[in-house]
Amino acid sequence: MVAVAATIVLLVLLWPVPFRDLVLFARDGVLVTIVVTVSSYALMVVVGLFGGLGRLSKNKLIFGIASLYVEIVRGIPLLVQLIGWYFASPVIIQRVGLWLDLQPLIQYRANPIVTAVVAITVCYGAYTSEIVRSGVQSVPKGQMEAARSLGMSHFQAMRHVVLPQAFRVILPPMGNEFIALLKDSSLVSIVAVADLTRRGREFMAAHFNPIETWFMVALLYLILTLVAARVVSYIEKRSKYERY
Amino acid sequence: MPEPIVQIKDVRKCFGTVQALRGVSLDVAEGEVVVIVGPSGSGKSTLLRCINRLEEYEEGTIMVDGMTLDRTSNINAIRREVGMVFQSFNLFAHLTAMQNLVLAQCIVRKRSRQEAEQVALALLAKVGIPEKARVYPAQLSGGQQQRVAIARALAMNPKIMLFDEPTSALDPEMIKEVLDVMTSLAREGMTMLVVSHEMGFARAAADRVIFMDEGQIIEEAEPSDFFLNPREERTRLFLSKILHL
Repeated sequence: MVAVAATIVLLVLLWPVPFRDLVLFARDGVLVTIVVTVSSYALMVVVGLFGGLGRLSKNKLIFGIASLYVEIVRGIPLLVQLIGWYFASPVIIQRVGLWLDLQPLIQYRANPIVTAVVAITVCYGAYTSEIVRSGVQSVPKGQMEAARSLGMSHFQAMRHVVLPQAFRVILPPMGNEFIALLKDSSLVSIVAVADLTRRGREFMAAHFNPIETWFMVALLYLILTLVAARVVSYIEKRSKYERY
Repeated sequence: MPEPIVQIKDVRKCFGTVQALRGVSLDVAEGEVVVIVGPSGSGKSTLLRCINRLEEYEEGTIMVDGMTLDRTSNINAIRREVGMVFQSFNLFAHLTAMQNLVLAQCIVRKRSRQEAEQVALALLAKVGIPEKARVYPAQLSGGQQQRVAIARALAMNPKIMLFDEPTSALDPEMIKEVLDVMTSLAREGMTMLVVSHEMGFARAAADRVIFMDEGQIIEEAEPSDFFLNPREERTRLFLSKILHL
């Protein structure tokens, strides 16, 4: 991590053209990448929690809906989903608006960042659902039985006994998800979101220097993922059972 | 004679095509200690688990402390009155011994944390390990874990305690420490249903021994009669195997 950071600083200091220019040009793109990643991730955790618990539900309807969601979304490439959300959803909303004669819907225009966050959340929520499901299933059945035998409701037992233990199992794959999401967020550049990748393309188009541009963009992604990996392993260490 | 605290009438239960319980009826009086023995797969654990509805049953009725366990009744209300101790302890692995005892008191019995901790400390002292309050289950021996599990069930002030093979997963030298706790509990007048093959415990503490086989109660008797003069052939066969006569 230090080596990558040092390389970036060195390049910027030694060759201000094009590296300093690129970093200055693309810094809002870095910010957009971080915003898209963090907000999708936060929403994805919520979707995954409900999806995962839905996949474990004894209620056939809830189980069916959750399974349908996971099976369908998992089988379609994120890129296709992104393009679909960006181009198809506004048209659908406008048609519904025409049908109901609602002006705000008819005038709806897709906000690229919001659309991108929704698409990534839906897609990654499906993967997260499976992680949550396997995490909950990894907690021995006796834990739930013991909690229920003490008079706790199913919900109380989940919240106080099963999920805290599942959390520790889920944490490492969830860290991987964050890093994968950070990298996949580069796909949003094709639906008009000015993220790091898109800013890189714009810079290259203006200055005709593909080698320098993409080397620096790669370094910037690398430093982001390395920092994320450090944060993840710190949280993992903190959440181990004390003196376990 | 007062109303029995547990009334089981003609309970039947299937696991797929296997008949686990084929019409079991049993009354347990308040303060009585009943030990249930029988070969594996005879339905003893299933019967115990039906009493607090960890297991559903298809036919028959079970009444606990005047409440019927049918599908509409509030199962949590009955579970509050019935403590259960498992073969595999099932202590909450992410909580200390103390927190294991406090958790359900706070959220089910709605006690304040302070009150719950006082109860917990008193019970840990009662089962002989007050110094382990701040320790996680993985750092305790099997016998200590099971004693914490008994204390956890007692913290809810149950009227009935169910023990599902409480010593089967323990090393021999730890069995006694758990049985001692159970024996003193029996002397205090707790109503207990115990699935166990600890014949020493049955002789010392039980009011009644029940022999189950193939989902039915074959024989019931006082411990002395049961071990010395079993009436049924199947009981004799079983006893000869476990007592190495």
